Amino acid sequence: MFAPIGSTEATITIYLDGRPIPARAGETIAACLLRAGVSHFRTTPASGAKRLPYCMIGHCFDCLIEIDGIGSRQACLSPVEDNMTLRIQNGAATIPGVETQ
Amino acid sequence: MTPAPDADAIVIGAGPAGMSCAIDLASAGCRVIVLDMQPTPGGQIFRALEANTIARPQTDELLQALGQSYRAGLALIERFRATPGIDFRPGTTVWDLRADGTVGWLKGNAAGYLRAPHVALASGAMERPTPFPGWTLPGVMTAGAVQTLLKAGRLKPEGRIVLAGTGPLIFLLADQLRRLGGRPVLIARTDRLKDKLFALGQLRPAGIPALLKGLVWLARLRLAGIPMRTGISGLQALGRDRLESVRLVAGERTVDLPCDLLVVHDGIVPSTDLAHAAGLVLEWRTDDASWRPRTAADGRAEMAPGPSLTTGPCRIWITGDARRIGGADAAVVHGSHAASAILAELGRVTGEPNGADRTDIAVKRSLAARPFLDAAFPPGLAAQLPDDEAIACRCEDITVGSLRMAIRSGATDMNLVRGLLRCGMGPCQGRNCSATLARLLAEAEPEKPLSSNPFRARPPLRPIPLGALAGMTGLDPDLAQVESLDDKPEAIAGDDIHA
Repeated sequence: MFAPIGSTEATITIYLDGRPIPARAGETIAACLLRAGVSHFRTTPASGAKRLPYCMIGHCFDCLIEIDGIGSRQACLSPVEDNMTLRIQNGAATIPGVETQ
Repeated sequence: MTPAPDADAIVIGAGPAGMSCAIDLASAGCRVIVLDMQPTPGGQIFRALEANTIARPQTDELLQALGQSYRAGLALIERFRATPGIDFRPGTTVWDLRADGTVGWLKGNAAGYLRAPHVALASGAMERPTPFPGWTLPGVMTAGAVQTLLKAGRLKPEGRIVLAGTGPLIFLLADQLRRLGGRPVLIARTDRLKDKLFALGQLRPAGIPALLKGLVWLARLRLAGIPMRTGISGLQALGRDRLESVRLVAGERTVDLPCDLLVVHDGIVPSTDLAHAAGLVLEWRTDDASWRPRTAADGRAEMAPGPSLTTGPCRIWITGDARRIGGADAAVVHGSHAASAILAELGRVTGEPNGADRTDIAVKRSLAARPFLDAAFPPGLAAQLPDDEAIACRCEDITVGSLRMAIRSGATDMNLVRGLLRCGMGPCQGRNCSATLARLLAEAEPEKPLSSNPFRARPPLRPIPLGALAGMTGLDPDLAQVESLDDKPEAIAGDDIHA
């Protein structure tokens, strides 16, 4: 859906569900994952519908994703960092060590 | 005793209005703290401009496509960076604002409160929420989102692109895509020729540059052979797990178009989340299907009557698009105007004795093109409330139909509907659905005066890690004392009105 304008200059790597994705320092996680063609960042807790970013400026919260073990983070506001580990968030965020229904 | 102020003024938002306000305040000798969510100054309009300029020549194609109006922001950013007395804190989220000048902030895993005798709220605008069937599907995005991806992501959309809605941004974006070698399948406009004819009646000399700019965009798009329809309605995004096609009604005919990316835009509205949470008066504008804060010409905000979390006078000023949609140039001018009003309050009048109020004339001039633009591009996608199957609350997947049913069953108040259905209780905290619900309530009882407020708001307005909350700095020792749980404003007021 999105292609880089000019060279990507991807010098760092982030991981989505274990899969390495080249990233450009300074870009947001959302931009990086959209370039990589990720089909959805999360599913909604209510219906399980798949979502991708909608507004990209921090209003819609549809870009929520798990970043380094913490769920429900806004991918459109979070810059990539080398070796960052991301997980597609299915439903509500989970808290490590806490059982939720 | 309240802690000492951290600055003479705090500016929230480093877009055109915030930068301009901060430059003027600091130039007059004030200590100014500027908070912004993004890593660099510029706001959404000049997003990543510094980085894209530094990265030349790799970004030459991008800068060329984004055009002169984007590159022109560099001068303001450079002045902002060069002005002594500005303490710029990028990457900082504001999650609380109080009328007494207290600002709750979060940066990484650190959080705290800052205080100043004046706070300039320059948090800009958001896209007008436009619920239609399928607008939650992956592959549907706002025009602002695509612009952000161009500027900050250096990404261009590919595949079959449909642009739908109204407003100058649709043309600007289409022209930028054209320069990048893209060719949208269709530009589906909700505005009609009659809007343009009516708008011409609103045209003042100051609006002529805007008109000419629009005509140039249109001519270029036509020349490039990009199909365009006006007066479209009934927009739907269709697909199972992602967008597959777009359906719309054009000239009484229903059209289905296979589509990879549907870009929607229905104009922008002031971002009112912080103003509302601070207990400031908002005004509902029926024609515009949006709220805006009630402010004096110089941006001074007004506290809503009723119980409040703070005491004393209102110390908040609202400037730029967060106050009234006017675009970057008008925001720069108003930021300056608000700064001179703040300086007058602080007893630091600048310029010649009679020159202090020149900025108000400039503000009027900067907004002179608005009546023409507003008439030419009335809300289109949001002109009518959608059918029952459309989702209103994106976070909780609540349809317009279930909201209508709750309202019919007697839930005739925003907060009651929220309590019943969780509409507005998801992560976005009602930013996307509150205007829709307000309109549904008005639809059910047209003669009833509209609720003047979105859902009741409480800090934190944005997620804040528990660790950051535990280590907060800048707490008021008096307010941090928990004496009893009976001190909630509702308990004092004994009723349920907005606090």
